[in-house]
Amino acid sequence: MTKRSILSNSISRRTALMGMTATTALAAMPFSARAQANTTIRWWSPQGAPAQVAAYEFQIAKFQALHPEITVVFETTSDEGYAPQLAAAFSSGEVPDIVTHLPSFAVQSYYANGLVEPFDDVINAIGADDFYSGANDVFRTADGNYCGTGIGNSAANMMWLRKDLMEQAGIENAPTTWDEMRAAMSAMQTGGIYGAPLPYGSNSMTSLIFIGFIHQAGGQVFTPDLQVAIDNEGTRNALEFYREMREFCPPGATNYSWGESLTAFVSGATASGIYTGRVLANVRDQNPGIADHVTCVTYPRISADVAPWTFNDFPSVFIPAQSQQKDAAKMFAAFLFDPEGYIQQLHAAPGHVLPVLKSINENPMYQDNDIIQKYPEEVDVMAAAAAGGFNLGYESTAHASNDKAGEIIGSNVIADLVQKVVLNGDNVDEALSVASSTIEGIMQG
Amino acid sequence: MLTFRKILFNLMAWSIVLAVAFPLFWMLVTSVKPGFELFRRPPTILPETWTFEHYWKLLSETNFLIYFRNSIILSSATTLVVVAVATLGAFSLVRFKYRGRESLAFLVLFTYLLPSVVLIIPLYLLLVGLGVSNTIFSLVIAYTTFALPYALWLLRSFMAGIPEDLESAALCDGATRMGAFRDVILPQLLPGIISTALFTFILSWNEYLYALVLVNSDSSRPLTTGVMNMLISSFNIEWSLLMAASVMMSVPLIIVFAFLQSYLTRGFGAGGVKG
Amino acid sequence: MSRQKTLLERRYAALGLTLIAPTVLIFSAVIVYPLFSAIYLSFYNVFTPTLEGEWVGLSNYAELLQSGKFWNALKNTLIWTIGSLSLQLIFGIGMALVLHQNIWFRSLARSLILFPYFISTVVAVLVWKWLFNDLYGILNHLLMKVGIIDFPMDFLGTMPNAMISVIMVGAWKYFPFVVIAVLARLQSIPDALYEAAKIDGAGPIARFFDITLPQLRDVLVVIVMLRAIWDFKEFDLIFLLTGGGPLNDTQTLPLLVYQEAFALNDMGMASAYAVVMMLIMLVFMIVYIRRTKDDEGS
Repeated sequence: MTKRSILSNSISRRTALMGMTATTALAAMPFSARAQANTTIRWWSPQGAPAQVAAYEFQIAKFQALHPEITVVFETTSDEGYAPQLAAAFSSGEVPDIVTHLPSFAVQSYYANGLVEPFDDVINAIGADDFYSGANDVFRTADGNYCGTGIGNSAANMMWLRKDLMEQAGIENAPTTWDEMRAAMSAMQTGGIYGAPLPYGSNSMTSLIFIGFIHQAGGQVFTPDLQVAIDNEGTRNALEFYREMREFCPPGATNYSWGESLTAFVSGATASGIYTGRVLANVRDQNPGIADHVTCVTYPRISADVAPWTFNDFPSVFIPAQSQQKDAAKMFAAFLFDPEGYIQQLHAAPGHVLPVLKSINENPMYQDNDIIQKYPEEVDVMAAAAAGGFNLGYESTAHASNDKAGEIIGSNVIADLVQKVVLNGDNVDEALSVASSTIEGIMQG
Repeated sequence: MLTFRKILFNLMAWSIVLAVAFPLFWMLVTSVKPGFELFRRPPTILPETWTFEHYWKLLSETNFLIYFRNSIILSSATTLVVVAVATLGAFSLVRFKYRGRESLAFLVLFTYLLPSVVLIIPLYLLLVGLGVSNTIFSLVIAYTTFALPYALWLLRSFMAGIPEDLESAALCDGATRMGAFRDVILPQLLPGIISTALFTFILSWNEYLYALVLVNSDSSRPLTTGVMNMLISSFNIEWSLLMAASVMMSVPLIIVFAFLQSYLTRGFGAGGVKG
Repeated sequence: MSRQKTLLERRYAALGLTLIAPTVLIFSAVIVYPLFSAIYLSFYNVFTPTLEGEWVGLSNYAELLQSGKFWNALKNTLIWTIGSLSLQLIFGIGMALVLHQNIWFRSLARSLILFPYFISTVVAVLVWKWLFNDLYGILNHLLMKVGIIDFPMDFLGTMPNAMISVIMVGAWKYFPFVVIAVLARLQSIPDALYEAAKIDGAGPIARFFDITLPQLRDVLVVIVMLRAIWDFKEFDLIFLLTGGGPLNDTQTLPLLVYQEAFALNDMGMASAYAVVMMLIMLVFMIVYIRRTKDDEGS
């Protein structure tokens, strides 16, 4: 059962060589700026909205001013495109030197296959103590190293609410349990306005959001030692509740993904939303009329006994093992957290990507933003929720990290489960047993 | 009576044409609506406020023009290479006799069968091996994988439609084969070449998957993936910018083809397509 | 004399081979090599990003033929290909006949009809998604205004709507190709044929079946083949429109290959699917070419 590179032997040899030279170089001078003249590092990210790119360019310019011998080239990939692009890059050895904003479980999967450089020294350079406690747990790998760190936090399943509609419907407090949520949705669904834009499509959003519902019902997908455990009472309750919610969602929710779901709330078509803090900037730009009425809370649970479960895909930073400019890349990775540039980057989508460093959250420069000042409570709620967030690669603090999470999401098995039960009305036992065995199969790889 | 039928026929024909072109109309309308009017329910048919800010923003603040330039270079280069190679190839396949000629034609078609999704990674390794990865040129190479079989088959059928007597006559007058090709066949084939070139250009202009995976720097990225990456993330879709970009991506093509469409259709007619 | 001729023939054959050489060269480099590596990879269990893995022989193929996923995707691929291709042909031929007539502003009409073929699939899909939107989509709004439906229709998220929508968008996108080809051929049918038929008392419908259709045959043979291959392999349009949903009901083979390769990181399995896909198309192609050749002979 020897593993070998199939299409090209030279690549694995080269990788090994590169690995060796890099380790020796690191041992000698972990972070010296004595990089060779005219080093170019390539930086990839799928978050390429014009405002964000502008912030990246600012960071690059500042870094290059400090290190004239290094040139940083930013290149956007996309959410659909990064998997095949990185696959092509890794298999050919022509890799970017630093990658940001990929979900943590993707990084774990690459690390497990020897494609990612340990990140511990960068974390230390940034200041391990400055991270929110536990912020890096999701990047801890089986061998005890860190495979990357978060460039931000995101609280992707906040419940967004319209205070004006709640008032009209006579609802005083934001729902915290499913019973309250059901009542609120039904009261607010009037006059062409729907209750919620929950996703029911064959896509990753449906999988990711529904995993949240499973946990909000006290269930789990895996046991802490990563045995498949999706067939449990919590999942069944979640399926039942998710089905009931269908009538409060727009007809097209069967094909919703993040963009559609976000727009439905922002445009005022639904009374509640489920999204990150991106809502705030979009409301400001697209529907300022409701700007004074939006607020957010953590998503309701089956009962008050179950703790909130926030989905955080932990937008990451990591350095591919095959990079030939690791020193420069590490220097740049640490520099990404330099307050001035980092804050500018966060402000490009305020509330969407939240700081991972305590010092940044307290920094007056960070607080000096119209959205963060207009919605201080909401931003605090999101920051707290995201800092205690989880995802399928890291279901709870007790769970071992799961480097197959990306494949499970990619297989759509959980979205299929939802569609079978909710849209087709299939038998729950059967659907769950198919889902279990599919996940089992992926785990065995 | 006759005029009544004519008017009726025209009305029907034009309502179908307008129905087919409706998405174009809607694209235009959406691109000139300001952001806040976009999500009006029910939608406004004509914009209440007209704005060209989206066009301006694309042209002044984004890499749109760079992508546009890349697309032009990429599509023209692909078209040039593919049509040149395919014309010679088709000439050989139709007018020369050697063993394996027929099977060669089918082999060409056979290679056309493999889905591009699995070609991508090996192709990328190849491009890295050649040292051209992440360049416009690498996409030109990649695009030949689907454009060349297509072009070869089209040109082969055009070539088959040119009477052999013409060439024989030239040969009797003492012309060489290549001389006869240049003086007799090329002029006859011109409409076919033009329409093949147009088809190839369209294919390259619109390709998405290879461009998505094989190229990742803004200096060589074409319009399709450039615009998508810039305006669509799983978090947000910039509808008005996207529609403005779509208009600017399509309108130049439509204008060019409005001028060239007589060639496009005449090409098929003159050759007479033969399997 | 005869020796000279063979010499000439040989020289011609050499020239012919020289002329085809660039084509063969390019094919060997950019297609044959990836093709063989695809076949090769299909015998391995391969992690996509590293391309490392172990030999598993035919087990990818065995697993594939046993899995419901494959048969489901094959069924969807056939429905999509046949559905969309027949609509393309019907609309395409019909529209070509209309545009062949002398209608008002004919060249404008022709340009507008060709427009769907000119725009990139990505753009086409996005525009259609925008039109189909349940909340702000103009299509639902118009349908409700006219009174055909009371509630917004779910075009992409339920069956059979999703498959119908995909087929319709596919037909809309690609029928202009048929229009172009057929229109060109129509222009070269001699008017004398129609005059003669008119004198014989044939009505417009009889004239279409007796003259137009047989004249179009050669063009249609090539169009059907090129379009069928193209549709069978179609990825962008379906992937971007429905992503294969709902519940894999619009998941065609190319989408499955993509999922195996890049979402599940199993390049071996993806290659096996691709090879099988190719074999299926090959069989269809051989049968098709035989049949059309035979007809020509008879």
